[in-house]
Amino acid sequence: MKILVIEDDKTTGDYVAHGLREEGHTVDLIANGRDGLIQATTSNYDVLVVDRMLPELDGMSLVKTLRGTRNLTPVLFLTSLGGVDDRIDGLNAGGDDYLIKPFAFGELSARVAALSRRPQLKEAETVLKAGDLTMDLIRRKVVRGDVEVDLLPREFGLLEHLLRRKGRVQTRTMLLEAVWDISFDPQTNVVETHISRLRAKVDKPFDSELIKTVRGSGYRIEE
Amino acid sequence: MTEFLTRSKDVLRSTPLRLAIALVILFAFVSLTSLGASYLFIRDSMDQSMRSDLRQGLAGFKAAPSAAAVAALVNAEAAATDPKRRVLSYIAVDGRHFGNGILARTEDGFRIIAKPDSEELSDSPYLMLSSQLYGGQLSIAISRSQIGDLAELFASILLLSLLPTTAIALTAGLIIARRSARRIDAVSATLDKLTDGDLSARVGEMPGRLDDLSSIGAQVNRMAKAQQASVEALKQVSTDIAHDLKTPIQRVSVLLNRARELPLLPPELEELVASAGRETDGIVATFQSLLQIAQIEGGSPRARFKPVDLGALAATFVEVYEPAAEESGHALTLASVPPGSGLVLGDKALLGQVLANLIENALRHTPTGCRIDISLKQVGSAVVLSVADDGPGIPKNQRGKVLRRLYRLEQSRTTPGNGLGLSLVAVIAELHDATLELSGSEPGLIVRLRFPTVPEVEIHPVSGS
Repeated sequence: MKILVIEDDKTTGDYVAHGLREEGHTVDLIANGRDGLIQATTSNYDVLVVDRMLPELDGMSLVKTLRGTRNLTPVLFLTSLGGVDDRIDGLNAGGDDYLIKPFAFGELSARVAALSRRPQLKEAETVLKAGDLTMDLIRRKVVRGDVEVDLLPREFGLLEHLLRRKGRVQTRTMLLEAVWDISFDPQTNVVETHISRLRAKVDKPFDSELIKTVRGSGYRIEE
Repeated sequence: MTEFLTRSKDVLRSTPLRLAIALVILFAFVSLTSLGASYLFIRDSMDQSMRSDLRQGLAGFKAAPSAAAVAALVNAEAAATDPKRRVLSYIAVDGRHFGNGILARTEDGFRIIAKPDSEELSDSPYLMLSSQLYGGQLSIAISRSQIGDLAELFASILLLSLLPTTAIALTAGLIIARRSARRIDAVSATLDKLTDGDLSARVGEMPGRLDDLSSIGAQVNRMAKAQQASVEALKQVSTDIAHDLKTPIQRVSVLLNRARELPLLPPELEELVASAGRETDGIVATFQSLLQIAQIEGGSPRARFKPVDLGALAATFVEVYEPAAEESGHALTLASVPPGSGLVLGDKALLGQVLANLIENALRHTPTGCRIDISLKQVGSAVVLSVADDGPGIPKNQRGKVLRRLYRLEQSRTTPGNGLGLSLVAVIAELHDATLELSGSEPGLIVRLRFPTVPEVEIHPVSGS
């Protein structure tokens, strides 16, 4: 993927660019808003990562201007501001997602990946597969090997979400947003306990582990 | 129609109209009393002069030397007197009658006689004076029609002065009331907008004379301007703090992450880096909560509020926390909530934060084995959310203090948490016009939040009225 990072803080910018490059993306890093806008309009990017407070042209105006020229490249805002209003303002300005500083790189990487693939959701699939596990979405049945796994509705939803995004890391906050439709930052290990309940049914009785923990980020089902 | 009725009600309730009505009542009372008093006074003096007139008349006849002379005098004077005004009558001892009318024999002294049965006489009552004279009875009566005229005169004075005054005062009061109602409407609409967080709202120019209301309008505008300036200053400060402090924290966490990724990191160092990372997260959480409290207190726009199903939200949070609660040995339950009840006007993310903070608070400060019961009830016109636990509770004298920022009970200093959870709940509650109440018999703590229900119109907007 080709990603443009517009961030004026050198440490954060370098860290984000370095991390994304290590994951195999092509990354351009620009430190001010005006140059960032020019760069974003003259080249084609898959995702823009934009800091909200930038010298010369702030991130909000940058994205508003960009949307004004019908450029629909997905935008992930980075910000130090975490108020509800700031979040809504950012999304209203044309941002697609919002990440509050300080963030873990895993969260950023997972959200960038989610943005870039957003239009390719294959909703028509009725059977999801991973290794020897099969999920039948119509009959609401999960079979691993030849054993049927009995799941509660929310466990089913959690597993479905991970299966639909096979190979991509899903962070704790992303799971809370997608599966429970709530956005907050839990101080207790709520998501971990849900995953461990799911693992107790899907992984524990079998030889191999399907749901992998990605240290410092979240969870993933391997392709 | 209903709008018209409420408007009229508002106008009736307005101060100028009430003043006008009070003044009219006072004026009417004063005029009635003074007119009444002068009427009584004039009537009295007219009565007095009529009596002395009668006495003099009678005295004149008494000067006559004999009954025949009296009869002659009476006849002579009666011939020149209109019986409608004055009646003279002498009934002699033999029953013969002289004068211009027959006044029945009666005792001596003054009497008022009702309308006599005679065509020749006046319709109104007469005042009569009788006296025995030479064995016969002499009576003189004067028509009281003048006094009747006086009453009519006073009644018309009353009508002519009181009715127009009342009408003019009431109309003027109504006009002024409507004008000030418009001004009050403008001021109160602006105040409503300001309360809802739109700090750019101002009272518009008021056409017409300057009065106390337009000066209140100007004061409201000055206050709103000052408020807006201070909120903007606060926002600027929060933004600056957020930027100037969060950027270095971000750098620290970047550096820690890099350190963690170094190959061949000795295990002790890895543990140190990990705990430094946790501390950084703690700083961020505290910082974030403080900023959030400041922003909400600085006037978060309620214009973005939408109806939120608090019952469904509570069910989601209980479900999210239930496995974590079970793992730490707590029983987290939600009393069954009928779907769609518990609809409140608010911000879903902030209300979720309230639920999360209350549940995490209970999990953190109660020992293993405790129950945490969440319930949602419709009580009158309020939706009451309660989170009850049977843990150690909060001593009564400390309950007010735990809502303060960064305040922590002595025994909880050693437990995790930053002392901002309940303060954040308190400011979010206030933003939603909800009352927050801590109760419970020690041991045990019940946190109750009483939300106003969503008014019907907010859910189903009705066009027109």
